[in-house]
Amino acid sequence: MHMPVVETDVLVVGGGPAGLAFAIHYADMARRHNEDASQTVKIPDRVMVLEKASAAGNHTLSGAVINPSALRELLPDLDAKDFPFETAVVRDDTMIFTKDGAFELPFSPPYMSNKGNYVVMLGKLVRWLAEIAEKKNVQVFSGFSARELVFENGQLAGIRTGATGIDHQGNPMANYQPPTEVRAKLVILAEGPRGSLTRDLIKALDLAKGRNPQVYSLGVKELWEIPEGAFEKGRIVHSLGYPLGIDQFGGGFIYGVTKTLVAIGVVAGLDIADPSFDTQRALQIYKNHPFVSRIIKDGKLLRYGAKTIPEGGLFALPQLYHDKVMIVGDAAGFLAMPSLKGVDSSMRSGMLAARAACDALKANDASASRLSLYEKLFKASPIYKELYPVRNFRQAFKANLLLGAFQFGTQLVTGGRGLSASGRLTMAEDRAHCRPMRTSQAKASAAAGSCAAGFSVDKETAIFFSGTKHDEEQPSHIQVPSAAVCDECIRTYGGPCQHFCPAQVFEISADPKTGKKSLKLHPSNCVHCKTCDIRDPYGNVIWQTPYGGDGPEYENM
Amino acid sequence: MGLKVISLMKQVPLFSQMRMGEDGLMDRTKAKSMINVDCCFGLEQGLQIKKYVPDAELIVVSMGPPSFDQSLRQAISLGFDRAILLSDRRLGGSDTFSTGLALATLLRSKILPADPHTPYIIFAGRQTSDGDTAHVPSQVAENLGIAQVTFAVSVDYAPAHLVVRRMIEGGHQTLKVPMPCVVSVAPTAIHVRRPSLAGAIKARQVSIEAYNLDQIGLDPASVGLNGSPTSVAKVVNITRNRPPVSMINGNTAEELAGNLAKTFDIAASLHAAAAPEAVSAPGAAETPRQDRFPRKDFRNGASGIFTWAEVVATELALSSIEILNPARKLADELKTTVTSVLIGDHVAGLAPRLIAHGADEVIVVEDSRLKEYSILPFTSVIEQIVKERHPEISLFGATTSGRELAPRLGSRLGAGVTADCTILKVGEFVQPSSKTIWSPCLEAIRPTYGESKLATIVGFRCPQMATARPGTFEASQPDLSRQGKITPFVPQLNDSLFAVEILSTERKEAGDEGLFSASVIVTGGRPCGELDDFKLIKELVEALEEKGISAAWGATRQAVDHGYAPYSRQIGQTGKTVRPKLYIAVAISGAIQHVSGMKESGRIIAINQDRQSHMFNCADYGVVGDYLQTLPALIRRVKSGFTFGLKA
Repeated sequence: MHMPVVETDVLVVGGGPAGLAFAIHYADMARRHNEDASQTVKIPDRVMVLEKASAAGNHTLSGAVINPSALRELLPDLDAKDFPFETAVVRDDTMIFTKDGAFELPFSPPYMSNKGNYVVMLGKLVRWLAEIAEKKNVQVFSGFSARELVFENGQLAGIRTGATGIDHQGNPMANYQPPTEVRAKLVILAEGPRGSLTRDLIKALDLAKGRNPQVYSLGVKELWEIPEGAFEKGRIVHSLGYPLGIDQFGGGFIYGVTKTLVAIGVVAGLDIADPSFDTQRALQIYKNHPFVSRIIKDGKLLRYGAKTIPEGGLFALPQLYHDKVMIVGDAAGFLAMPSLKGVDSSMRSGMLAARAACDALKANDASASRLSLYEKLFKASPIYKELYPVRNFRQAFKANLLLGAFQFGTQLVTGGRGLSASGRLTMAEDRAHCRPMRTSQAKASAAAGSCAAGFSVDKETAIFFSGTKHDEEQPSHIQVPSAAVCDECIRTYGGPCQHFCPAQVFEISADPKTGKKSLKLHPSNCVHCKTCDIRDPYGNVIWQTPYGGDGPEYENM
Repeated sequence: MGLKVISLMKQVPLFSQMRMGEDGLMDRTKAKSMINVDCCFGLEQGLQIKKYVPDAELIVVSMGPPSFDQSLRQAISLGFDRAILLSDRRLGGSDTFSTGLALATLLRSKILPADPHTPYIIFAGRQTSDGDTAHVPSQVAENLGIAQVTFAVSVDYAPAHLVVRRMIEGGHQTLKVPMPCVVSVAPTAIHVRRPSLAGAIKARQVSIEAYNLDQIGLDPASVGLNGSPTSVAKVVNITRNRPPVSMINGNTAEELAGNLAKTFDIAASLHAAAAPEAVSAPGAAETPRQDRFPRKDFRNGASGIFTWAEVVATELALSSIEILNPARKLADELKTTVTSVLIGDHVAGLAPRLIAHGADEVIVVEDSRLKEYSILPFTSVIEQIVKERHPEISLFGATTSGRELAPRLGSRLGAGVTADCTILKVGEFVQPSSKTIWSPCLEAIRPTYGESKLATIVGFRCPQMATARPGTFEASQPDLSRQGKITPFVPQLNDSLFAVEILSTERKEAGDEGLFSASVIVTGGRPCGELDDFKLIKELVEALEEKGISAAWGATRQAVDHGYAPYSRQIGQTGKTVRPKLYIAVAISGAIQHVSGMKESGRIIAINQDRQSHMFNCADYGVVGDYLQTLPALIRRVKSGFTFGLKA
């Protein structure tokens, strides 16, 4: 069967906050320009957004507390009262958790103030943005995943969706459908953290040359329905300490979303030494902490999900553009770690890219040199102003939390330079930190403790609450290329994948006859967080998009 | 012009999101909608024809509100060329009879070639998840006067005809079907493809052709609430609260199996336990008797209860024996007689058995061409008999044959059919619109909306027709001393009735379709694969089958993932959803993914070594023990006659 080819002017891969902010801003600017009769050169205005979730917002997950300023700029004609925010932040506590206790920090750490911010359900916000985009003639196609990049003469020419109707062995079945190739004048990669095409592009064009590697945390979150009065709407709590160890970067969060909805989550760095650390388990332990269990004791679990967070900051950003392509949002990594907020800066990056895109397509020149305007705009933008002073924040915490706090303290004093002479603390990839450290025989971290009791749910049940679903009849979208490396990993570290994956995609089981341990994949459990692609100590896991429409159904996470 | 291939499609609400409104009607407005699952198989089968006939025109056709636009566009994104919607408020409340009529009228007036000999194919799904009747494909075929095959599992195309393999009771049949024809496709055929992006782009641009009744020239009086021969008299919720699990005690496997058997004996038979009579139908007695309206008898002289006695190979189908039980009760209450229609080749010898089970008369039709059931001649034969005898009620077993024969016959006779009933009784219907109490009428009661509701359906045209779900009614004890009349009947049979050629009939082969029809499903978890490769699971199924109980085996996703069973056997959220009378879960942890695919089963037995297993929370009976020991003991019990209270 021949492969259909379709064309558009601008193709956006990923319909999240960054991709949609790009699309809306681009559509607005192009329309304004094209309606101006004095402009003889028109801006090509066909914008297509591909979203792999079954509907916009279904793969979106965040805390979320957001700063509304980017949204106000994106949609100046709308009254901020009409934004789909749940509530303003009314109370903001930072606490230290011990095993049984909780102590409030007497001061709010710098960069963590949430005054003027709002608690949102990001999925709902994204759904709303997608509707606005469609009204502005942006073609949003949900349920289609971009599978591979298409290069032509060394330049990016577009993408291809995946073929469907293929059996486990890769053979076409009776219901085979060929991929569709989308060719565009300009491609915007807005895939979110560790996008698979962004990963491929950075590698193919060496866009991370001379930068720090991106580092990530994994956030797991549950949405609970609680009786009114159990937790204040608009109250947000960030906690440090238990159940995470002193050597771990991360913490917990509790956000009062509505009077009867509370979001509870744990965020932990994927650079932890312990190969058996399990973030989903850490969340279960967290929920049984007296401070948290009191909130949810008469509640009901509604949803579960997980997502990675790019935390490398300024020095981990790849080159943001190349010929006919720009990278926006979490796919690049604009999150300012100390304030824990990335939605606002992601959307801003999309809007900046939209300005560069208009300039380029008006001139019919989407070359890297023309698109470098995007970086210039970025350096003059509020995102840069936010990222620069904390440019070494996460790197400082790389080794351990206490030392990191000290280093970050010196950064505050030195305006972000810290104790590094060059002004840039360097670091290695996350996976590099999983290797020289403890082997599986070592003492497991706190999060490996018992969590059978109380409000815990095992992973299998948790996955059910993510609503994730995949066509079982398809080749695995998670590849483990080398069986030998996999065996070595099991021998050396006991198979960290079975722990770090928050959705039980990886199972290490022993053959009942020979006792030999081997890996079994359950790709249909996947919640698309891409932790495996990041944290596998040997880089022996490759995540690619499964069939479009597959994956979690977060709706309002 | 190339071959026209039409797929009929319905958009249905997602059950999980449906709520019953204050008025007792389903509120579909808040539920997300999707293409009915079975219809997806019909769509795919249409798309497959394109491989044989590249210039075939693929047309998707639906009837419903404008919101069906969404699903029609989805069909376009899969590769359909045209999308057509029949939409008219006056169609609201149409039953399957009216729906079949309306769709056929639309097809004839707007879509089908004018020359009646030009071949075309109409595909449909087996049934819809909200209506659940499987009637419409048969009724469309009847209204168009063309051949049909239902429950198709595979379709091969040859110019001028199709070779279709269909499910039949206990096996498969391969048919050579001339075109034009209607083929309804079972959900075990080829899975529907994913839309391509190019298709989705096209779907946004295409315009949906919409027609109303006036445009297709159909009299509004013949459809909708007033035109439909049946109406929904009442819908009640079925609340099924599973009582807490009873754990079976015992020190040895033998003791456990024995005590389990004893518990079942004490709990009486499953028939009694799961019989729908046990479901209270609130409202039944609450309706105030509106005596101010006059009672009217709509039967117009029709009298007597007909049943179709289905012959499978050379035996009477059990379902045909079963329906004699309610037929007898209805006849006694209406002070009339039961007449069974027995069609086949050399089948007269089966007639006394029908009499022993309650028939007063057996009309025997024998012809060598009627050896195997086939829809066109059988419809014609029964039509001829009905026209001579004018029965008031006509009952069929809801088998793969009965479920196509009854609706086709209904459409021919202008009578309504209620599908898959679990309760049949005499009642009356107060119709405020006509200020009339219709009495007596057949109250045909059936589970609907995924077994969550019980709907009472009544009709006012004779014969009042219904199909009865096999296994619901208990076969009565035969009374060999009963006397009855055996009357031969010679029908008119012209050659065109035999246009569909039966190429082969295979019975007693275990397909995965068995999972949908089995009374007992035995499902094993991963340990069953690791420890004995499902040997004991399969042995238990075989032992039950030997005792005449339809049984099938299933597997959990874990077992399937590890290669111990094919995906087609997977039960659970991402596999099949099953509702057998008895579900035996062996070495299954009870993960929510699995439970959501079997929790509606009649009775559930959990066998697990781990006392803490969640499976016990979902079961009626729990056995803590190693299945390698308990199953052999249970198999021995079954071999010596214990069938969990189920009757062969």
